[in-house]
Amino acid sequence: MKDNNNNKILLVDDEPDLTLAFKLGLEDNGFEVDTFNDPLIALSAFKHKSSSYALVLLDIKMPKMNGFELYNEMRQINDQIRFCFITAYQVQKEDMNAISLSDQKSFDIIRKPITIKEMVQRIKNQLS
Amino acid sequence: MTISQGSAPEKTEVLYGLDNIINTNLQFLSKAHRIDSCGDDKAAPAIIEINAYKDLLFEIKSRGIKVRYITDITKYNIHYCKELMKFVDDTRHLDGIKSNFSVSETEYLDSITTVQKTQSTPHIIYSNVRDIVDQQKYVFESFWNKAIPAEQRIREIEEGIEPEFFEVIAEHKRTSQIFLDLTKSVKNEALFLFPNDKAMIRAYRLGVIDHLIKASQKQNSANIKIICPLSKENSDIVRKVSEQAPNIRILNGTDSLYGMYIIDGEKMFRVEMREPKAETFAEAIGFALYSNRKNTVESFRSIYELLWNERVLNEELKKTYKMQEEFIKMQQEFINIASHEMKTPTQAILAYSTLVERHPERRDEMIEAITRNAVRLQKLTEDILDVTRIESNTLKLKKEQFDLNEKIRNGTDDASHVLDDSDNAIKILFDLEPKKYVQGKQCTIIEADKVRIYQVIFNLLSNAIKFTNKVAGNSISIAAMNDGENNQVIVSVKDTGEGIDPEMLQKLFTKFATKSHTGTGLGLFISKSIIEAHGGRIWAENNKDGKGASFYFSLPLIKNPEQQSLERNHNSKSQ
Repeated sequence: MKDNNNNKILLVDDEPDLTLAFKLGLEDNGFEVDTFNDPLIALSAFKHKSSSYALVLLDIKMPKMNGFELYNEMRQINDQIRFCFITAYQVQKEDMNAISLSDQKSFDIIRKPITIKEMVQRIKNQLS
Repeated sequence: MTISQGSAPEKTEVLYGLDNIINTNLQFLSKAHRIDSCGDDKAAPAIIEINAYKDLLFEIKSRGIKVRYITDITKYNIHYCKELMKFVDDTRHLDGIKSNFSVSETEYLDSITTVQKTQSTPHIIYSNVRDIVDQQKYVFESFWNKAIPAEQRIREIEEGIEPEFFEVIAEHKRTSQIFLDLTKSVKNEALFLFPNDKAMIRAYRLGVIDHLIKASQKQNSANIKIICPLSKENSDIVRKVSEQAPNIRILNGTDSLYGMYIIDGEKMFRVEMREPKAETFAEAIGFALYSNRKNTVESFRSIYELLWNERVLNEELKKTYKMQEEFIKMQQEFINIASHEMKTPTQAILAYSTLVERHPERRDEMIEAITRNAVRLQKLTEDILDVTRIESNTLKLKKEQFDLNEKIRNGTDDASHVLDDSDNAIKILFDLEPKKYVQGKQCTIIEADKVRIYQVIFNLLSNAIKFTNKVAGNSISIAAMNDGENNQVIVSVKDTGEGIDPEMLQKLFTKFATKSHTGTGLGLFISKSIIEAHGGRIWAENNKDGKGASFYFSLPLIKNPEQQSLERNHNSKSQ
């Protein structure tokens, strides 16, 4: 069941400077944010409380597991949650092959660099 | 009978005994102006040795009769043939001819038994029957056209030259035997064109490939080239050849209708395919052509060379194309990585600069983050500028004398600061007195660009930190070793990290090569260029104990630095 008051976001980015900045920026705008720098730790945390999140915000280029792979894993655990990718990486066609076609509309890709204001707007759009 | 008036009636008869034979011959000669005659390899010795026959030769000479003679000239009868040729206008050789007959304008003599010593009573067949005479004339003409000049044959025998042959072989057993014998005989050169991938496998089963390998392994290794369509099926054989006989060159070819084999520039063998994909040689092959004729062999050889050169060109084109593709891919990757590297710190700066107002309590922390990311951008900009300088050959070195160990100390200190609290687990060890360090301080004094050498040291240390797990017990050690023998100093940076991917080891120092998620792949390329600009060398290897990697660079030492500084002092005083 979707909880319309749920404004909790899971953020995964391997750059600690960025997770902190985004967390503060989103919290300033009324969101609750959990952050992770390691995609594998993020995944195991997600397994336990996936339903508590309204949206997952993923970096793409990360060591150990990239954002697309993490997305696929998380979708298998919970396919009700909205997703946003946030990346400085030029997404290639081949990268998109990792994601099944039917899924490709269910997320937004936000390109870095982006202002906090704009990012908040994009996330709100994705949640509405 | 008016028709036969003036000519003898037509008859065919057999005459026995030497006297009869001689008489018949004499009568035959008396009516002839032109005689075409042939005899087997025993004919010439018989004619020369038996006086009665030899007299016939004198008779021919004195009557001025034009004679064309065909025989089988061998090294055993060559002497007799040469003697015989003194009486005959035109002599030719035909391999293995078995006929013994003479035919004039109107008469025919078959003298087969006159030369056979086993025959108790020699006899001769005479005929003046027009049809028989005409038929024998025709037989003679066909022999004559196939025969070669006697002089050529005599030269071949006397000079030990193998007679020229041009053979069409339909029988597969003989074809495979020739194929095998040919490859066994290879001395200097073998040019092979296999018509398809299976042909190589069939040849391998025959033992042909093993003979080629042996020919290549000999002391004066034969020049062996093979063109063959390469596939999964024959890859094992190709691998075996390249392992056991690396001098044999094999190029990929396209399917053709026949195989072509040229041995030592002396023999050519061309085998047509009947069932190109058959398993056995016998099933696969059709007619074969085998020849040692100089012109034939030469023309096949030049066809082969043309094919070979075309194949070589083809391979080179493929290689260039692949290199170009790789280059484009690497450049695209670089643009990707560079843009990622540019956008990430920009994002941090952008975010913190707006956040800092709303979070005064975190002001210092955020300013620090902004600075850190600005420095990261600056580093990237410098790297890209350095690469531009290197590629346009405008990298300038400000050389001065200094102790390399000073810069290593600086690099080690700065690298330690890079390690944050959580990295305390790993240690950076600076070995001031490595084993080879024997001559005191002087032995690490170099003349180089301080800033650039520091850049290399710091780059190697940062890489070591990046690829070493922050686990207790892991360490990075750096040392400068004097290699006085080669008048150089070698700096080693050894870590106990994850080691270098074998695939990366090949292209470690090339541009854009990186396995890191936060790196442009420019650091080692720049380091290499700096070290080489100083006349040194840089290299890397995985540690022999299987844990981590070591990077080394060498720089030339100053010869006797004290002496030089004394001289400088002396010079400045005297001025």
